[in-house]
Amino acid sequence: MKLLAKYNRVNIPITIITLLITVIGFYFIIHFFLVHQIDKDLRIEQQEIIHYIKEKNSLPEASNYKDQEIQFHLTQDDTFRPEFSTEDRYNHKANETESFRKLEFLIKVNGNYYITEVKKSEQETEDIIQLILIITFSVIVFLLLVLFIANRFLLTKLWEPFNHTLAQLNQFNLSSKNTIELQKTNINEFRELNKTALFMTEKVRKDYAALKNFTENASHEIQTPLSIIKNKIELLLQSENLDKNQINAIQSLNDAASRLSKLNQSLLLLAKIENHQFENAEKINLSLVLNECLENFEELASIKNISIEKNIADNIFIQINDSLAEILISNIIWNAIKHNYQNGTIAIELAQDSLLVSNTGDEPNENTESFFERFKKESSSSDSIGLGLSIVKTICDTYKFVVSYNYKETMHIVKILFH
Amino acid sequence: MKILIIEDERSLSESIAAYLSSQDYYCDIAEDFATAKYKTEYNDYDCILLDITLPGGNGLKILEQLKDDKKTDAVLIISAKNSLDDKIKGLNLGADDYLSKPFHLSELNARIAAIIRRKKFDGNSILQFNNITIDTQSKTVMVENNPVELTKKEYELLIYFVLNKKRIISKEAIAEHLWGNDMAGSFDFIYTHIKNLRKKLMDAGDADYIKSVYGMGYKFTVQ
Repeated sequence: MKLLAKYNRVNIPITIITLLITVIGFYFIIHFFLVHQIDKDLRIEQQEIIHYIKEKNSLPEASNYKDQEIQFHLTQDDTFRPEFSTEDRYNHKANETESFRKLEFLIKVNGNYYITEVKKSEQETEDIIQLILIITFSVIVFLLLVLFIANRFLLTKLWEPFNHTLAQLNQFNLSSKNTIELQKTNINEFRELNKTALFMTEKVRKDYAALKNFTENASHEIQTPLSIIKNKIELLLQSENLDKNQINAIQSLNDAASRLSKLNQSLLLLAKIENHQFENAEKINLSLVLNECLENFEELASIKNISIEKNIADNIFIQINDSLAEILISNIIWNAIKHNYQNGTIAIELAQDSLLVSNTGDEPNENTESFFERFKKESSSSDSIGLGLSIVKTICDTYKFVVSYNYKETMHIVKILFH
Repeated sequence: MKILIIEDERSLSESIAAYLSSQDYYCDIAEDFATAKYKTEYNDYDCILLDITLPGGNGLKILEQLKDDKKTDAVLIISAKNSLDDKIKGLNLGADDYLSKPFHLSELNARIAAIIRRKKFDGNSILQFNNITIDTQSKTVMVENNPVELTKKEYELLIYFVLNKKRIISKEAIAEHLWGNDMAGSFDFIYTHIKNLRKKLMDAGDADYIKSVYGMGYKFTVQ
């Protein structure tokens, strides 16, 4: 959910409820004061009537005007207390119900008690209240509308630096050398955010670069002692009269040193690719590279009696470093041979914008999505170090090729899209 | 044949010298830039093994000087840097080959032999081992005048064996030589290749020279 939507979802009902409560409160307050005003008028009328009686000692004439009526009723009850009340009456002429405010009080004229009714129409009051309510409602609706639209535009505008920062962070690439570019903003929060984002991306990049440099340097430094170990083992191999235990020990040393050496070479290669040391990309005829590679592995495939189905278009050129092109292709083909079984098949399809290599092989028993991760092997027994596909992936990432792995109908399928 | 090993790591230069001496090379060692410069200036070698990172200077300078002096010593760069730039620079400066550390001594030996063969004999050379004759020009193999039909890899394997005769060669060294560095775990393939090669040589003239050495690898030898 967008922040604006979330904000509106809370803001609009609260605004509406608050305004409704205000309107209702407003209605009652105005009503109260207006009725109070009428009551005051009625009291004045009462005083006038009493005054009249005192002077003339007779009842004033009952009257019936449009908005004021005075009536007298003879009564025996001399304990009647004055009281206000409201009375609805249907007006046939206007075809509507009219409210009247009524004051009843007791007067004594010539020893007779009369209940005097003074009524005043509330019509005007109602009209005023109605008008006020209409105005208020209109203002509220207008206000809501304006707020809604303003929020929409204002918030979009206000959040623009944020969205820009977000887009930049999304595009942030650890291994690229470009720093992210953030919009200048005068909003403190966003300025703070940008500052932090810049600081963090720079730090992450520096740490990453340092780590990669470390990997590369460490790998380099490891190579010389590793050479010594390997060469001494090789010389040791030549010794005459070794007993079985010694041979086993030498063999173990040799295996370990070889694995370490391959691991080191692969890590170094990965570090170099990621450190952009294979910058000089050129137009490479991938068809040639592929055919040469197949020729090199032809005999390996024939040992397992693997049949290779080739569908290789001529002169497919892609922009890539030549060493990396060879490594990429040979890793894929080697994988297809190594993880194949006796009498299996390999199908190779090279087209203008894609390379598809599929091979028969045992069903993968783990999550195939992790195949491109480092140190993931298909079987723990194989003496591979699990970096082959990771190297493929890294090379593809470098050139923005899309590489995918699938297992479908007993075939392992590696697919590379060049564009 | 005289070889100069320019390498500052003594353990390494000693190992190299030990292996190459057993293959009837005469080995000279230079451990720093100045010694290397002196030795290359006043002596002629059939092959110079050159480490690029040397105390006292860059190994590539020695290459430049050899070129300036119009010397024809074969040069094989051995470098821990495995850097593409160094490789290209080195080859451009006239180095004959490039081998990155760590390497197998048998591989180094084969490379040296190949360079010398190319340089000295214009690649036109016959390799002989007992009753096996290999013509490296036409890439044909004869056992007692019977031609042997070998596949490309079997041929490469045979050359590798002949060049490293009487030495035990580990399976890793063979795998790397045949298919390059990245191809780990292909020992079952090697077994098949060797089986086929041995059978072909045997069929052609009872040339049973490939000995499997328990747990360690293979050895090409007469008895």
